[in-house]
Amino acid sequence: MHINLKNELLQDHWFVVGFGLAVLFATVTLLGPPLAPFDPWDMSFAPISPPTAQHFLGVNDGGQDIFSELLYAVRNTVAFGLVSGLVALTLGVIIGLISGWFGGFVDTVLMRLADVLLAIPAIMILILTAALLRPSPVVLALILAGLMWPTISKAIRAQTLSLRESLHIRAAEQIGGGNWYIIRRHLMPEMFPLYLIGFAAKARMAMFMEASLAFLGLFDPSRKSLGMMISYALKYYYMDIWWNWLLPPIGCLSLLIMTVTFLAISLEKVLDPRLKQTMGERTA
Amino acid sequence: MTDSATHSAPRRLGLIITFGLAALAMIYLSYSLPRLLPGDFVTAMYSSSHVTLTAEQEAELRAYYTEEPGFGRYLVKLASLDWGYSYAFLTPVSALFFGALPWTLLLLGTAHVISMFVGFVTGVEAAWRRDSHLERSMVGGMTVLEGVPEISTGVILLVVFALHLGWFPAAGAETAYAEVSLLARLADVGHHLALPLATLVLAYFPGNFLLTRNSMVMVIKQSYITTARAKGLPARRIRYAHAARNALLPLVTRFGLRLAFMITGALVVERIHSYPGLGTLLYNAIQARDLPVIQAVVLASSLMVLTIILGLEMIYRIIDPRIEHAH
Repeated sequence: MHINLKNELLQDHWFVVGFGLAVLFATVTLLGPPLAPFDPWDMSFAPISPPTAQHFLGVNDGGQDIFSELLYAVRNTVAFGLVSGLVALTLGVIIGLISGWFGGFVDTVLMRLADVLLAIPAIMILILTAALLRPSPVVLALILAGLMWPTISKAIRAQTLSLRESLHIRAAEQIGGGNWYIIRRHLMPEMFPLYLIGFAAKARMAMFMEASLAFLGLFDPSRKSLGMMISYALKYYYMDIWWNWLLPPIGCLSLLIMTVTFLAISLEKVLDPRLKQTMGERTA
Repeated sequence: MTDSATHSAPRRLGLIITFGLAALAMIYLSYSLPRLLPGDFVTAMYSSSHVTLTAEQEAELRAYYTEEPGFGRYLVKLASLDWGYSYAFLTPVSALFFGALPWTLLLLGTAHVISMFVGFVTGVEAAWRRDSHLERSMVGGMTVLEGVPEISTGVILLVVFALHLGWFPAAGAETAYAEVSLLARLADVGHHLALPLATLVLAYFPGNFLLTRNSMVMVIKQSYITTARAKGLPARRIRYAHAARNALLPLVTRFGLRLAFMITGALVVERIHSYPGLGTLLYNAIQARDLPVIQAVVLASSLMVLTIILGLEMIYRIIDPRIEHAH
């Protein structure tokens, strides 16, 4: 696993493009509100007007500035993806490590639970909770994370199983290192590449889910989101608004998903120890 | 390999138990979640309408809509397709569901068959021509396509082909009230199917291509392929009869793994193209806050996904005996 990470990544075109886009989206996410020329909830402009010098992308049917809406929407989608991905990663790593290191009954129970969750379509649970209970986006992100951890923890568990037979872990055990000491100081740092891959894959899934849920109208309608903008603009698609109202959120969403996809694919190519050693199959 | 027969029975049982638990979890969720709700249909329907209910009428309606069947009764009703009555469409829920199901099956089934087949064949051919210009640009193009979500492809296809060029209809699954011959009707259904189908194929096909190409590249390196070449077999026979069979396995596994996730895209695509399948039904039910329909669509489609994945797992174990031992 000792590879010159920086050089290998920088030589991969996908990583460079993905990273560049990621920086762009990070800027929009962090600086979105100050950059927005208008308040996106301000409904005082002439509805459905084409772009002008003041309103770069025109005004929507509710009299709101589309460009400002877009900045806030990107922010929300990115935040949802990051929160959900991060929580899924944390859960997956902890459960994978515990399952792989302790083995036995704990392992059986946790992995059976993982199998059950893997088979359940996450979108259905999200739709059910969103339609019935109308929870906040944070709660939905957490529920999604609770459904997405199994693939990460399976990868972590497999790696733990092979690592626990390696010499340095055996040595740590022999000189009296406790369970948690070995997990914290030896296992966790060594699997860092797997975290990046898992996080990128889950963040991608979460952003896609957020856009789909918003598109289906399952979020609070006052919350700006790319999916909701597309859904509203689609109602007027026969008018001449497709290039200034429909296309921007579509473009943003595609670029966002592409960013994470490129990062995930290149990270997996460069970092995944399973691909390097055993040349085994990859699971998406 | 010798004790695979003794191992396979408990494994298979474990698999069935896992999927049974998943199904039970879904059923219990769809049973218990509505009971946590603060509001109810009577409030939703009459609080903003012009009809004023007397206290007596309201109590009666409320009692009717909130009767408590218990989980056992719920299971029985579920199995006997007695899924209640839609509040908004005023039809039995199961009638709505089975009216929409064929269109979804047609759309998703065709999309998966086409994208699997095309993705597999192009993936095999691309891996065979590794490092050529064609292969490089194909891998590049597919990686980009893999990043475009179904929402975007769907909307772009709709705007370009239905709105600007007018080649395909923008909504529906067939022309309403058109009394035509069987052949003309089939053509009509195909014409309506084209856009949503193209959207889904564009969404699924790149992943299949990339996966097949990657596993094929690894298979080709193995020595039994060299042997086959040394024997002087024709290239196409080596590609398909020898190498591609092993490259097919990851594709089947991936299908099972990703099916639970891919449903999301199908729901959205149906809504974009107003295709009258389960996705559109679900969307309309969400807009009308029609809980029995939402519940039924969510639950029934999840159970179908579970059954399909379980079936695939069983078939996969037959195709490839090696995985009985890989845990």
